[in-house]
Amino acid sequence: MKILDIAFKDLLRSTRNFFLIGMTLVAPLFITGLIYFAFGGLQSGNVSMTAIKVGVVNADTLTADAPLEVPIGKNIRDMFFDDSVKSWITASDYPDEASARTALESQEIGVAVIIPQAFTEKLLAGQTDTPILLLQDPTLTIAPGVVRDMVTSLLDGVAGGGIAFRVISERLQANGLTLDSASLPGLLERYSTWYAGFQRAFFYTPQNAALVLTSPVESGNSFQAMMGLVMAGQLIFFSFFTGAFSMMTFLQEDEEGTLARLFTTPTRRTLILTGKFLAVFLAVVIQGLVLLIIGHLLFGVHWGKPGSFILSLLGQAIAAVGLSVLLISLVKTSKQAGPVLGGGLTFLGMLSGLFTTNVKMPAAFNAIGNFTPQGWVLKAWKLTLSGAPLSQLLLPFLVLLAMGVVMFLIGAVLFRRRYA
Amino acid sequence: MKYAIEVQSLYKSFGDLQAVQGATFSVETGEVFSLLGPNGAGKSTTISILSGLLEPTQGEASIMGHSIRSEPEETKACLGVVPQDIALYPDLSARENLIFWGKMYGLRGSALKQRVDEVLEIIGLTDRQKDWINKYSGGMKRRVNIGAALLHKPAVIIMDEPTVGIDPQSRRHILDNVQSLNRQGMTVLYTTHYMEEAAELSQHIAIMDQGKIIAYGTHDDLIRLVGEQTRIDLTLNVEGGRVIDAWKRLEGVSKAVSEDGKVSVLVEDSNRVLPRLFEAANPLGVRILGVDIKEPNLEAVFMHLTGRALRD
Repeated sequence: MKILDIAFKDLLRSTRNFFLIGMTLVAPLFITGLIYFAFGGLQSGNVSMTAIKVGVVNADTLTADAPLEVPIGKNIRDMFFDDSVKSWITASDYPDEASARTALESQEIGVAVIIPQAFTEKLLAGQTDTPILLLQDPTLTIAPGVVRDMVTSLLDGVAGGGIAFRVISERLQANGLTLDSASLPGLLERYSTWYAGFQRAFFYTPQNAALVLTSPVESGNSFQAMMGLVMAGQLIFFSFFTGAFSMMTFLQEDEEGTLARLFTTPTRRTLILTGKFLAVFLAVVIQGLVLLIIGHLLFGVHWGKPGSFILSLLGQAIAAVGLSVLLISLVKTSKQAGPVLGGGLTFLGMLSGLFTTNVKMPAAFNAIGNFTPQGWVLKAWKLTLSGAPLSQLLLPFLVLLAMGVVMFLIGAVLFRRRYA
Repeated sequence: MKYAIEVQSLYKSFGDLQAVQGATFSVETGEVFSLLGPNGAGKSTTISILSGLLEPTQGEASIMGHSIRSEPEETKACLGVVPQDIALYPDLSARENLIFWGKMYGLRGSALKQRVDEVLEIIGLTDRQKDWINKYSGGMKRRVNIGAALLHKPAVIIMDEPTVGIDPQSRRHILDNVQSLNRQGMTVLYTTHYMEEAAELSQHIAIMDQGKIIAYGTHDDLIRLVGEQTRIDLTLNVEGGRVIDAWKRLEGVSKAVSEDGKVSVLVEDSNRVLPRLFEAANPLGVRILGVDIKEPNLEAVFMHLTGRALRD
């Protein structure tokens, strides 16, 4: 019972420490919030992009002997007018490039897609001197990228079809067969229909579009996944701060004389130490839970399966307590502790990749993270965010448990020596 | 039980430093006992051992019959310790502090609530019980500091220089509290380097210096050690070193100590010796700027025993 009394007293004091509250909750949410709004101002829950306004100039036509029934330019144009994308793309036709430019300058549209004359003919002939021209409002970043990727995606499909056609033709010729020219339009039509459906499935929602058009991730949409990693980095970094600064009450109590006074009460020193360690553990767990909930509500982060995130949070708390006990056992005064904890935890956080969660780093750098508790906590959260089952979390959890216990024991021995 | 505290040949060393050297004394149940001595005499180390903060290097002590070595928890349960410095949580209210410390002494539920109310009444802070400690004046903090040691109604209270650095009004309040607690039957072990406090409060006094108990007894017993000697404090225009050897040789002077431009002299008869002090000073070019004659007191006892002033 006295263990809980000591732990709750420490937690109560923590809630009255504005610096600790700032470092525990405000700072991680503030930094994550800044990144959230910097990357498109997306709002909670659903990713709702501002509608993209696209102007299309389609000058592509077919010659009479063309193997296709419909010019590729029309397919590109229709893609932006398709019902499947109407919820997030507003498209308009323009007769020529000049009118499209005028619309762009007056910000009626954000992106203009200029499809040149005889585009299909030249594309099928392998000529690339008249490409599709994309014009954009220079203040926009996401919309032009989305449009460019949609066009590229469609053209990749056409190119893929062309390659498949050539390969089939060659194999038929090698076997002394020729493709029936009468069946060619039908084949192309079927391929075109299939690919249009394929594209629709991709671009039906902005979430799907974001998934297709940006770097692939394991699950969810890319923005949420990115925010999940950002939030995880902040959560981990500041949870170790919370642990260390909560543990600093040990030094403060020593300086305030309350620790010595505690030792004069009929309370065993082991109970006193355990109560204080429990307070640190609870502080990290409570902070984690609060940030997980707020991260989900504010930034739409999906934290994966409940079992997995509970195990990640538990591993994080164990490692944070262990490292905190070790660090605080190495310093003598709270004045020393400030710079040691600040510098040490920031350095470890950098080495662990907590500030580069969305950046592809060299393998050697990533390997360094294997030697830090923060690095393993990050591994656990990456797995959790990707929807990994509990079984995949066992290895990082066990490593964190081992690291936490070893650091805790070393720190506890040093503490016992100091207060023996 | 005749003795609430018994200390036998207690030693404590920190490396080469011998902080306590064979201290032996007993505190009778129900009395106020003062441990008097200058800073660094070993008082705080002795009570740190008694309150379980430090392990003795050698020797034994017991509180209410419980050995501090073999029954530390039982010892602490019947002991209330008032540390020299304020040892409270500044960001908790007085009530929250008292509740927490009460729990550490095993109080729970309605018994705890009732006792906290009583202690708040005793220390006179019922009206401001919800204020954080860091909003209190120094004297109010001292009162809460004492109150936290009273929650479990200990048989013995140890107070380590509780009046250091506070205003006269708060000091008076604390001294009154000590006497009041004693009247309620609590045994008080009080350490101080103010001889007036020891004289006012205590039934028995032990004088400690350099880790040793150098005198022990009632106030009157100790005064008798210096006989009828009077202490004369003289303020000089120069360092006392120029005249002190001459004064020591004078008839009727038993001790002379120099410090900070002042010389303290223990004499048999001040009326007879004082003119001789002036006569001896004149040829040496020493002018006496002030004279303060004091009746025999504990400070004189300390000087008589150690050759140094208690304020050292």
